[in-house]
Amino acid sequence: MTESLLAVRGLSKHFVSGNETVPVIEKLSFTLGQGQSLALTGRSGSGKSTLLNLLCGLELADTGTIVMHGQVFEAGGTAARRTATAWSALRRQHIGVVFQEANLMPALSLLENVRFRAQLAGRDPANSEDWLTRLDIGELAQRYPDQVSGGQRQRAALAMVFAMGPALILADEPTGSLDRHTADEVTQVLFDLQARHGCGLILATHDAELAAGCQQHLDLGHLNAV
Amino acid sequence: MKGLPSLFSPGFPTYFLPRALLSHYRRHPMQLLALAAMIVIATMLWTGVNHLTSQARTSLDQSVQAVAERQQLVRDDGRGLVVDDFVTLRLAGVCVMPWLEVTPETGNRLVGIDPLAAHCFGAGTGTAQVLNQPLDGKPFVDMYAAAGVSARESRLYLLTPEATQATDLPGGYSLKTFSANPDTGELGDSFLLNLEALGVLVLLITALLLRAVYLLGLAQRRDSFALLHRFGVSPEQVQRWLVLEILVLALVCVVPGFWLGRWLAAGLGSGFGQALDGLFDIPLYAGQGQGWITPVLVMLAVVVIACLGDLVLLRFRGRLSLPVPARAGLATALLAAGLVLAWLGPSLAWVFVAVALVFAGAGWLTPAAVAHLAHWCADRSQAPLARWRYRELAVLARQLTLPLVALQFALAMVLAVQALVTTFEDTFDRWLGQRLEAAYYVEVPAEAGGRKAAEWLTSQQASIPGLQWHRVVRGQAQLANAGNLQVDVFAVSPVGSLMRAWALLEAADQPWETLASGEGVMINEQLARRQRLQVGDRLRLILGDQPQAFPVLGVYPDYGRPVGEVLLNAETLPDNFNVRFESLSVTPGEPGIAPVSDTLQQIWGVEALAMRDNGTIRELATGVFDQTFALTRAMTLLTLILAASALLMMGWVFFSTRAWYFRLLVVWGMSQREVAGQLQRLALLLTGGIAVLALPLGIWLTWVLVHRINPLAFGWSLPMAVYPAFWLELGILSLAIGLSIAALMRQQLGRPAVAPASASALTGGER
Repeated sequence: MTESLLAVRGLSKHFVSGNETVPVIEKLSFTLGQGQSLALTGRSGSGKSTLLNLLCGLELADTGTIVMHGQVFEAGGTAARRTATAWSALRRQHIGVVFQEANLMPALSLLENVRFRAQLAGRDPANSEDWLTRLDIGELAQRYPDQVSGGQRQRAALAMVFAMGPALILADEPTGSLDRHTADEVTQVLFDLQARHGCGLILATHDAELAAGCQQHLDLGHLNAV
Repeated sequence: MKGLPSLFSPGFPTYFLPRALLSHYRRHPMQLLALAAMIVIATMLWTGVNHLTSQARTSLDQSVQAVAERQQLVRDDGRGLVVDDFVTLRLAGVCVMPWLEVTPETGNRLVGIDPLAAHCFGAGTGTAQVLNQPLDGKPFVDMYAAAGVSARESRLYLLTPEATQATDLPGGYSLKTFSANPDTGELGDSFLLNLEALGVLVLLITALLLRAVYLLGLAQRRDSFALLHRFGVSPEQVQRWLVLEILVLALVCVVPGFWLGRWLAAGLGSGFGQALDGLFDIPLYAGQGQGWITPVLVMLAVVVIACLGDLVLLRFRGRLSLPVPARAGLATALLAAGLVLAWLGPSLAWVFVAVALVFAGAGWLTPAAVAHLAHWCADRSQAPLARWRYRELAVLARQLTLPLVALQFALAMVLAVQALVTTFEDTFDRWLGQRLEAAYYVEVPAEAGGRKAAEWLTSQQASIPGLQWHRVVRGQAQLANAGNLQVDVFAVSPVGSLMRAWALLEAADQPWETLASGEGVMINEQLARRQRLQVGDRLRLILGDQPQAFPVLGVYPDYGRPVGEVLLNAETLPDNFNVRFESLSVTPGEPGIAPVSDTLQQIWGVEALAMRDNGTIRELATGVFDQTFALTRAMTLLTLILAASALLMMGWVFFSTRAWYFRLLVVWGMSQREVAGQLQRLALLLTGGIAVLALPLGIWLTWVLVHRINPLAFGWSLPMAVYPAFWLELGILSLAIGLSIAALMRQQLGRPAVAPASASALTGGER
């Protein structure tokens, strides 16, 4: 077993809708080793995006513990500000997040976006252009997001994530808005780079083929721990 | 008309199309509310300004008629007129109208007149029209009512038409000019012209704001329109419904806006009315009478053109659209042409065209300039956050063009009006101070002449500490240099300390000493401008029937007078000079006015002196102008509030569409507090930048108002003054608007933003 990058124990999250409390995630436990990949599947509303938000601190769990990159986050702790600050630092330096769309700042060129993200993470931005080249969009570096295709934007988003040298990538249906061919290309790039750089990957998807590419699989429809 | 039947044809469009279009407002009720509020407030503001201005103009015309110089009869022995005099004159066949001025124990002065005697002035003349108006008790009342008032002071005048000659009069009476008060009509005109210009600017600003809010709504409905198009609805059908929609909305909102404007005008109008009352001592601001159709139609047209002007222009868009560099070039050309025209424009109309050109150019260039500057800063910025911030600023400047330009215009207008008003106040105060330097103003009785009184005052000069005085002789002369143009003569002797503090616009060396020696004259600004005279020029004056040549020693400002005037030493007047009026200005020194007035009564053999306390007059006049200017300030402040609210609303809506990208910063590891800080800096950069860009426009507008419009309209200019403390206030206000936008957005940052707010944002379309 590889060293654990992420450990989740007894994680629960509820939402309140009117007078009703809706459980989204209940007593979820799993671990993810360094360099491993995990596919999150389940029908719409099963809590895939919520879990990703919990795993990067954008939302806070009701109960449970998350151990991420050596830091322990207990749900319901009183030091909310310290927790938020710790999560911010983790997201800034170690967690790369890729959404289905709109991952780039529209006012910045592709290259400026990559440099921006690298500098935020405290990395040398000099390699930013290399990353775009590695993702086959080097010649589009000076273009703005609205001047390239959807697939090229997602490649740029991946370049941004890898330029920051993440320990963990959280990808929320990253190919959901792309055609099959482009989606396959982007997925291939994602898996290749993840494997080469040894970072963890948690991928929320409806796509069974894509999920099959991951080493682990968590079906939130069944609310079972792996 | 082909479009209208198809608009209401049965089937999908008639039933579903309006529902589909209006569903936007069902989902975004605040947007409909904002648009409606904007139309209501805009109508209210414009109607208020327009109503006040037009009413004030009518009132001013009436008041000018009422206080126009007329002819009165006086007793040769200097005694006051009584009823017996009226009887004597009527028996002698002289048509006279009694005018009884009564100052009650409490309240304002009343004027009792006999309407039956108004026929003296002939039907259809201005005077007769004014005097034949219904006597509403303020201030014109029936002679009977005025005579019955418990009065602190009362005085009877007998007015007679211009046709009455001295030879028509029985012995012991003579003719004299009668004026209810000094004519300050030009000051009123100047003020009203500026208020009208303000009204036009307000209309322009409100049109820009309306357009901004409406276009924002349209942009958010673009996806719905595309969907309707896919369902087979033609763009023309959608456009027709949009026209109908905005027309209905405009009708619904313009009417309450109009009434609110009237209410606003009534509220402010009482102060304005008081100002005019004080100006002429006659309350003539009626506060009613303007029709409702014109303002309502104007506002409807403004709403429709501002919101839907594009539909008309759409078919010409191909021909009208210019590439960006050409657009910037055209805007710069407009700006440059406007600046040159404002400098050299020969008439008021050209100067107004110049103002329009400069505003058009500035409005077109400002957002582009801000965006350009922001990109320039971004390119030179090493810090990633700063670079992002500047790029976002460029986006904001482009996307919020209309409300930003409206705010810039509003700020410039407020700045200019404030500078104008403050300069006006200061200048008027100073001018009044000069003209009323002496403590008392004493009329010299017509037959008495002032020479004996002057000799007595000269003899007292050494023995009464603090006594200052001069004699003023008024009359007219012809200016031989300008085809015997008639000018007023303001002759003073001695040219003493009461005069020497006068501010001069231009002066030769030791002008007062030379004037005192009788070796030159001074002229007022009106005469200098109209005849292009300057210091050193020789003036050939015909005084009496003798031509005399004098060098011009100085040019003095003379606000509010329409005619040219020459100031000279009274000792240089020839004996046959036709004296129209004579007075003494006296500061009595330690013993007070009583010994002076007693002696003057003895010298002139009169029972009472026509004497005014200049301090009271000055206090009254200053109070009057304070009220008038308070109104102007209130109107400009309202405009600024409107512009600020619109920017706040637009900024909030637009920032909402960018909320996702601020959220992205949180995803990338910035804390909520850091992101809120970035948001704040961005909003402050935007509104602060606009305030900075409004500054030169406002200063230029001030210059145009005081140095171009006033001289061209009235022949005199105000000194150009700037008020940096007020700039600071406006800067702080702009930053407060920025902070408010940031505070509103901060609320949104706390909520989860799951996706960009509009479809175009997904493709990065809001760059």
